Amino acid sequence: MHKKSLRLAAGLCAAGLLLAGCGPVSGDSGAEKIRLMVWSPSEDQSKDSGQWLQTCCENFAALHPEWDITFVYGVSDEASAAGAVAQDPEASADVFMYANDTLTIMTDANALAKFGGIYAEELQATNSETLLDSLTLDGNIYGVPFTTNTWYMYYDKSVFTEEDVKSLDTMLEKGVVSFPFVNSWYLPAFYFGNGCTLFGDGTQEELGADFGGENAVEVTEYLVDLASNPNFKIDQDGSGLAGLRDGSINAIFSGSWDAAAVQEILGDDMGVAALPTYTLNGEEKQMYAYAGSKAIGVNTATKYMKASVELAMYLGSAEAQRLHYELRNVIPCNTELNSDPEIAADPVVQAQNDTFDRTSILQPFVAAMNNCWTPVENMGKAIRNGSVTKENAA
Amino acid sequence: MNILNAKQTKGYSPYTCLAALGQGDTTTRLSAVVMGLGSICHGQVVKGILYLAAELGYLAFMVRYGLHNLAMLITLGEVEQQEVWDEAQQVYLYVQGDQSVLLLLYGVATLLLTLVMFLIWRGSLKSAYKAQCLQQKGSHVNTFREDLTTLLDDNIYRLLMTPPMFFITALTILPLIFMICMAFTNYSKIDNHLVLFDWVGLENFAALFDSNSILGSTFWSVLVWTLVWAVFATFTNYIFGMLLALLINRKDTRAKGFWRFCFVLSSAVPMFVSLLIMRTMLQPNGAVNVLLRSLGLIAPDASLPFFTDPTWARVTVIVINIWVGVPYTLMQLTGVLQSIPAELYEAAKVDGAGPVRTFCSITLPYMLYVTTPYLIATFTGNVNNFNVIYLLSGGDPVTNLASAAGSTDLLVTWLYKLTIDKQYYNVGAVVGIMTFIILSVGALFSYRRSKSYKEEGGF
Amino acid sequence: MKQYKSAKAIRRRNNILIHSLLAVLAAIWVFPVLWVIMTSFRAEKGSYVSTFFPKSLTLDNYIKLFTDTTILNFPQMFMNTLIIAICSCILSSFYVLSAAFCLSRMRFKMRKPYMNMAMILGLFPGFMSMIAVYFILKAIGLTEGSLIRLALILCYSGGAALSFQIAKGFFDTMPMALDEAARIDGCTRWQIFTKITLPLSKPVIVYTVLTAFIGPWVDFIFAKVICRANSDQYTVAIGLWKMLEKEYIDSWYTSFAAGAVLISIPIAILFLKLQKYYVDGMSGAVKG
Repeated sequence: MHKKSLRLAAGLCAAGLLLAGCGPVSGDSGAEKIRLMVWSPSEDQSKDSGQWLQTCCENFAALHPEWDITFVYGVSDEASAAGAVAQDPEASADVFMYANDTLTIMTDANALAKFGGIYAEELQATNSETLLDSLTLDGNIYGVPFTTNTWYMYYDKSVFTEEDVKSLDTMLEKGVVSFPFVNSWYLPAFYFGNGCTLFGDGTQEELGADFGGENAVEVTEYLVDLASNPNFKIDQDGSGLAGLRDGSINAIFSGSWDAAAVQEILGDDMGVAALPTYTLNGEEKQMYAYAGSKAIGVNTATKYMKASVELAMYLGSAEAQRLHYELRNVIPCNTELNSDPEIAADPVVQAQNDTFDRTSILQPFVAAMNNCWTPVENMGKAIRNGSVTKENAA
Repeated sequence: MNILNAKQTKGYSPYTCLAALGQGDTTTRLSAVVMGLGSICHGQVVKGILYLAAELGYLAFMVRYGLHNLAMLITLGEVEQQEVWDEAQQVYLYVQGDQSVLLLLYGVATLLLTLVMFLIWRGSLKSAYKAQCLQQKGSHVNTFREDLTTLLDDNIYRLLMTPPMFFITALTILPLIFMICMAFTNYSKIDNHLVLFDWVGLENFAALFDSNSILGSTFWSVLVWTLVWAVFATFTNYIFGMLLALLINRKDTRAKGFWRFCFVLSSAVPMFVSLLIMRTMLQPNGAVNVLLRSLGLIAPDASLPFFTDPTWARVTVIVINIWVGVPYTLMQLTGVLQSIPAELYEAAKVDGAGPVRTFCSITLPYMLYVTTPYLIATFTGNVNNFNVIYLLSGGDPVTNLASAAGSTDLLVTWLYKLTIDKQYYNVGAVVGIMTFIILSVGALFSYRRSKSYKEEGGF
Repeated sequence: MKQYKSAKAIRRRNNILIHSLLAVLAAIWVFPVLWVIMTSFRAEKGSYVSTFFPKSLTLDNYIKLFTDTTILNFPQMFMNTLIIAICSCILSSFYVLSAAFCLSRMRFKMRKPYMNMAMILGLFPGFMSMIAVYFILKAIGLTEGSLIRLALILCYSGGAALSFQIAKGFFDTMPMALDEAARIDGCTRWQIFTKITLPLSKPVIVYTVLTAFIGPWVDFIFAKVICRANSDQYTVAIGLWKMLEKEYIDSWYTSFAAGAVLISIPIAILFLKLQKYYVDGMSGAVKG
C-alpha cells in the first residue's frame, strides 16, 4: 500500500512537472524500475543503531536518479550469509555482506561476482593491499571491504600496565588471562609465532599446513604448560567476559564485537592492545592473529548487475564507512578514513589496525582451509583434556 | 509380501487391469489410451471427464517440462555458468548454468508424478471395466453423485487418506528418494562438485567400506557407539521410568500428583533449551562444577571432565538422556502399569513373593510383552537421536584428530557434520542409507516377531 | 500383636525411605528448570556465573524481550509461532486422527503397505531431506514473504499422518460392536467417525493436539532453512537460538532464559491440565 502510494505520488509529481513544461530530462519515464534485495545483520537495520542500511540505500537511490529502485531488506549476518547464498543464489540477495573466510563457499557455488575495471581500480586506490588480498582469489577481487575482522586483547588497566601487556608471560604473573583455547580461529596464533605456516603465504594450497615439525612440537609443549597454568583460563561460550565482569579474569582475547560489553564492564580501566609476545625456550615470540575482513558481495544471479555493483561500492565507500563507525562503531578500513585524526584516536580502532598491520597473518581461504578448522579445534580440546601431553606432543 | 497380505485381507477383485485389457469392450480398451473414454460411454460422464482432464493435464506438463526433466536426469546437467566482461558497464555479467541439485530433484519429482499417473491410469481402466460389466449385467451404475456419497461411507478411507498421503509423498517420500539418489553421485566439496555433479554408481559405498580410509574406520567406530548408545539410552530410560512409575503408583505413596508434576515439569521446557542449559551447566566452569567446588567436593581449581574425557562424555550423555527421557517414559508407562491385572499381584502375594521377585516375574515380563512396539520405536528413535547429542556434546570430545567424528557422535550427528559442515552430501547420503538398512533389518525382525504385530488385524 | 507392630514399623520406614528417595530425584529433575527460572530473573548479564544463586533479581530480562524489538523481534516471533502452531496442530490432528481411524476401523488394499511404509519412513534421519524440502516449497512459490508461514505449516503437518500409531492403538481398544450397531442403524462411516469415535477419544485427541502444538515451538532446524533472511517470519526457536550466537550471547543470555520460561509456561499448563488424558491416551495405545 505504502509503496503504491509512493509510486502514485511520484507519478503525479512527474506529470505535474511535465505539464509545467520544466520536467527534468530523466523523469519517471526514463528511470529504469529495479528491485534490489539487500541483506545485512539486523543491527544495521535497527532503529536503535540508526538504520545504517536504510539510510545508505536511500542516499544511494538519491545519487542515482537513472534507477527507480525498490529495496527489499533481509537479515543475514556476515557469517551465515554465505551459506544461504550458496544454497540458493537465485532466491538470495543481490547485495549482501559476508566475512572473507566464507568466500570460497560462495565461489564454489558460482554465486559471487567479480569486481573488475574501474571498480577494481577504485578499490585498489582506497584500501590497503593486505586487505584486498583477503578478498582476492586467483587475481580477482570478490567484494568491497568495509571493515577488518581480527582479534586482539582487552585488559584491565588496573591490573596490567601498558608495558606488561607486551608479554603474555608477564601478564600471567600479574593476573589471570583467558584465551579461547578450543577455538581454531585463535589457537594457531601461538604456532604462527614460531614460524609455522599455512599454505605458504596463504594462497599456495599445494604447500599445505606446516604444523608438523620441530617448531610446532615446541609450541605444543608450551601450550601444554600454558593450559595447566592456574592463571590461565580457557574462554568458551562467553566465560571470558563473565569472568571479566566478576573480576576473576583480567584479560581476554576477542574482537570489536565485544568492545561495548568490555567498555561497560571495565569503564575507564578498559585497555586494548595488539597481541603480546610469549616466551618459548627463552626466546620472545610474537603471537599472530588471523586477520580477515568483512566485505560487501554481489550475487552472480542478480538481474541488475550494474546497479548491484554500484550499490556494493557505495555501501563500502568512505562515506558509508564513516556512518557505520558513528552509528555502530564498525571499525573503518578505508585508508583515507583511517588517517582521519578523530577516528585514529579511538583505542579500539588503534588496536584493531595495529593488530591487522603488525601482529596478524592473513587468514587463508583456499578450499583446503576448511579441512583445517576441525583438526585445530580438536588439537586445542585434546591439550585441554590432557590427552596431548609433552611426551606425545609430536 | 505386502501385496500378498493385502490380497488376503481384501480378497480378489474381478475388476483388474489385465481383465479390463483382455475382456473389456472397445471403449474400455481404448481407455488405456484415452483415459475416461470407457467411463463416459458407460454412463459415468463426470468421472470420465475427470480422468480425461487428469490425462490432458499430465500430457501438457510432460510436454512443457516433464520430458526435459527426465532427459536432464540422465546427465544431471552439463552447462557451466558463463562469465562475460561487459566493457561498457565495467562489470562482469553472468549467464546461469545448470544446477545439478535442482535437475535431480525435478527429475525425481517427474518420475514420482508419472508413477502417480500410472496409478490413476489403472484406476481409470478398472473403473471403465467395472462400469462396462455392471452395464452388461443390467445392474445399476453409480452416478457421480452416488460415487461422491460413498466417499463419506465405504470409501471414506480414500477421502481421509488422500490429503495426508499427498503431503507425505511431496514432503517426505520425494525428498527421501532425492537423498537416496545423492548417494550415487559425486555431489561433494571434494573436487568441487557442488554445482555440477554426475552419477558415479557405487563408488561412495566402496569408500565407506574401505576400512583403510579415514571414512571407513570412522564409520565402524561410530556405528558401534551408536548401537551401544541406543541400547543404553533405551533400556536405562525404560527401566528407570518404570521403577519411578511404580514408586509413585505405590498404594502408600502420598501426593502422587505432586511427584508426577515434578518430573513432568522438566519436559515442558523445550528440549533444545534444557539441553543447551545442561551443556552450559556441565562445562568446566559451569554451574555444576561451581556448585561442587563451593560444596568442597572437588578442589577449587578442579573440574569434572563431563564433556572433555571420552568415557565421561559417553556416560554423561546417557545420564542426561535419562533426565530428558524419563518424564515421557513415566507418563507413557503409568497407564500401562495401572492396567496390569490385580489378580496377578494377589497370586504373587499368596505365593509369598517379595517386591523384587514380583517385579521380575510379573511386572517386567508383562510390560515387555505389552510394550515391545513402543520399545522398538524408542530404540530406533535413539539411534536417530540427533537433538540430545548435537545439543549436549556436539559429538565431543574428538580423540582422533583426523576424523570429523567425536567420541559421542552418533551416525546421525556425524552425518550432519558431513553434510552441513563439510558439504560431503554424497557420503552423508550413504551414511543415511546405511543407518536405515541397519535399523530396518533390526526393527522389522523384532517387530514381526512381537506378539502385538501377529495379533494385529486379527478381527 | 508384636509382629503386627513391627510390620507397621517396616512399612513406615519404607515409606520414609521411598518418599525421601522421591524427593531427592524430584530435586534433580526440577533443578535445571529452577536454574532456568532463576537465570531469567538474574540481574547480572552473561552466560557464566561464578555464584550459584543470582546476586540480585530483576524483571528487566522479560521487559527487554518484549520491548527491545529492534534486533530480535521476540513479540513478532511469538505471534508467528502461535499462528503456525495453531494451524499446523489443527491440520496434523486431522491427518493423524483420520489416518488412524481408517487404519483401525477399515480394511482396504493399501492398508498394510501404508503401515509398513510409515514404519520404514520413520527409520530415516529426517533432516537429510531439509534441502530438498526447501526447493520443493520454493518450486511452488512458498518461500517468500508471509507465505513462509504456510510453508512451515505444511512442513510441520505434512508428515503427521505417519505417526498414527498411538491414535490407532487407542481406536483399536474401542469395541467394533459399537460401529456395527451404528451401521445397522444406518450411520455412514463419516457419521461414525465424527459422532461416535471422536467423542469417545478425548484422551488421544488431546495427546495428538498437544504433541502437534509443541512441534513448531521447539524446531530450530527446519525453520531456519526455510526462513533464510526473512527475519519477520522467524519463529521463537530461531530467535532463542540466535540469542546464543557470539554477538548476542553476553547481552541476551538472561533474556534467552526468560524466553524459554515464557514458552514453557503454556506447555506446562497444558501438560498439567491434560496429564490424565495424556496417560490414558498412551496406555490405550500401547495396550492395543
